[in-house]
Amino acid sequence: MAEVITDKIAGRGFKVLLILTLLVPLFFLIDLFVGSYYISIPEILKAIFRSGNADHQVVLIINQFRMPKAVTAILAGAALSVAGLQMQTVFRNPLAGPYILGVSSGASLGVALLVLGTGGLLGGSIVSAASSWGIVAAAWLGSGLILLLIVLISVRIKDIMTILILGILISSAISSVVNILQYFSNESTLKSFVIWTMGSLGSVTNSQLSVLIPSVLIGIGIAFVSSKFLDAFLLGENYARSMGMNIRFARMMVFLSTAILAGSVTAFCGPIGFIGIAVPHIARMVLQTAKHSLLVPGTILTGALMMLVSDIISQLPGSERILPVNSVTALLGIPIVIWIIIRNKNSSRI
Amino acid sequence: MTNTENKIITLNNASIGYQQKGNTSKVVKSGISLHALQGELVAVIGENGVGKSTLLKTIAGFQPPVSGDVLIGEKQVNRYPEKDLALMMSFVSTEIIRVPNLSVFDLVSLGRYPHTNWFGKLLDEDRHIIEEAIKAVGLQGYENRMVNHISDGERQKVMIARSLAQDTAVIVLDEPTAFLDLSNKYGIVHILHQLAGEKGKTILFSTHDLTTAIAESDRVWLMLHDSVEQGAPEDLILNGNFDNLFHNNHLFFDQEKGDFRIRKQTRRKAVVTGAGIKRDWTVKALERIGFEVVDETHLHRNESMISIEPADSRWVLKYLEHSAVFDSLHSVCRYLNNLR
Repeated sequence: MAEVITDKIAGRGFKVLLILTLLVPLFFLIDLFVGSYYISIPEILKAIFRSGNADHQVVLIINQFRMPKAVTAILAGAALSVAGLQMQTVFRNPLAGPYILGVSSGASLGVALLVLGTGGLLGGSIVSAASSWGIVAAAWLGSGLILLLIVLISVRIKDIMTILILGILISSAISSVVNILQYFSNESTLKSFVIWTMGSLGSVTNSQLSVLIPSVLIGIGIAFVSSKFLDAFLLGENYARSMGMNIRFARMMVFLSTAILAGSVTAFCGPIGFIGIAVPHIARMVLQTAKHSLLVPGTILTGALMMLVSDIISQLPGSERILPVNSVTALLGIPIVIWIIIRNKNSSRI
Repeated sequence: MTNTENKIITLNNASIGYQQKGNTSKVVKSGISLHALQGELVAVIGENGVGKSTLLKTIAGFQPPVSGDVLIGEKQVNRYPEKDLALMMSFVSTEIIRVPNLSVFDLVSLGRYPHTNWFGKLLDEDRHIIEEAIKAVGLQGYENRMVNHISDGERQKVMIARSLAQDTAVIVLDEPTAFLDLSNKYGIVHILHQLAGEKGKTILFSTHDLTTAIAESDRVWLMLHDSVEQGAPEDLILNGNFDNLFHNNHLFFDQEKGDFRIRKQTRRKAVVTGAGIKRDWTVKALERIGFEVVDETHLHRNESMISIEPADSRWVLKYLEHSAVFDSLHSVCRYLNNLR
């Protein structure tokens, strides 16, 4: 009897996952459709499947611009959400997110040093030379250094709350350094830095995708194989240890995955806020489970969907203008987070 | 006691405490020699701050002993690899677990952690063990309830079911009844008693609730300020060890009732006539407000006597030449308090 009901609940999980799996390609198609230049759906499909009679210009727009942007949206949404899920579970805090360990401030320091530092020293002309690859490399280096620091701290320090506080302090300290760099930089370099901090899905090229895709897949793969660890973390570290988990190893796996996911997305797209905090809660709610074997795929799909929706909204369908995607995700995510806080007031703790 | 019996937990001249900076350590308690046999329910009793939690954490392997031996089976607890220890011993903490969207079944299934593969896949055998564990704590039908939607008592039973599902010879529980009402306290300790007796598990739990501990445990580890004593609860009562539990002159251990009572300054003496339960509770009421109840013959001739006679549905009070009739003990007490 009980087993039947348990199966029913698991059945609900799979049903939700199936619906999400169908929604993602649908919104992917809508995202390809939305843009300043009108292209009909059949033409888009023709361009995607390289049908012989596809219009050359349409193929160019789809393949070089809209397709990489939509793929980036899926990658960024999935990556940030899974990173957020892992942080919420490990820190047992519903407001933890992918950037809580300071990954994004590390990336912004790298970019600030490159854009503002070199721009300030050698004049504005160098900024254009700091190609998009340069920015990516700088951001990656910055978040990589923070990752290294966090992993070192997590191996040495036992108490998870201490790690959380250190993460917050480190990212505040780095932000101040970035502020100082901003203060001493000139207008044009400052503007290009500020634009980076607004986040963008559109600047990722096909060749950059060949780096972003495997990075995100590796990070997600680690999250998948960590789902048993994550389940144990739900009860706190003492219980996890009493059930035979190697805390330090498990923590390192989770931090590694989070840093790879959040670090590479931030490197290519700039910091994108609130998706990583809000999506895991939506996934928990629609799946009605706390088991990570379901939550990890659910969060990946919900995150991809949320990011596609944000990208569609940021195009302001019917207009020529584009909003910074970071503002859209914040405006979508913050009400969700507020709702979660109010709803969970009595049964808090993730 | 014979040495052939199977000691599951053994502490041999152990010191417990915390590691501090620079290789020094703060010793909370030293010279601890205790043991527990297979199938015993062991209550750890002691005043706050005497080191109960530290002792349980040391036995559970969360922190190493400062010196001496802490053995689980025949091996030092901190020599076990994590997974081997998890197959030998499970742990239930004081903390209330409130994870949203976590069902009772899923929480109990976490107990199978050391038994399942890398992805935590449950086999039919695992499911059977989980169902049995839920049944053992009397929560059948709760499988799909969410753990943050059940009562504290039920949640504590779920945590015990989780440790049962872990299928270990030893279960260590840190104050499992701390936040519970009286009926749940009895319920939990009774379940522990049954599990120890019927499933042959060695169960160690710390508690402040003497009455349930004395009624249900096979062995008590009594943590006093200068020593640690062990034995059947009744032995410890008879040899007077319980008297030293608290450093508090206002408390004394009532050996007949098996619990602590507050020592009251008795101001006056009174005689209660009659017999039976009505007299017993009249005596208790008078003791509560500071009277010493004596026999008539013990009164000195010059002492003024208050005599109370419980009758059918009233109390007749005589004091010097006064006499008064009351319809409840509450009004008797009010009257006597005003006599001061």
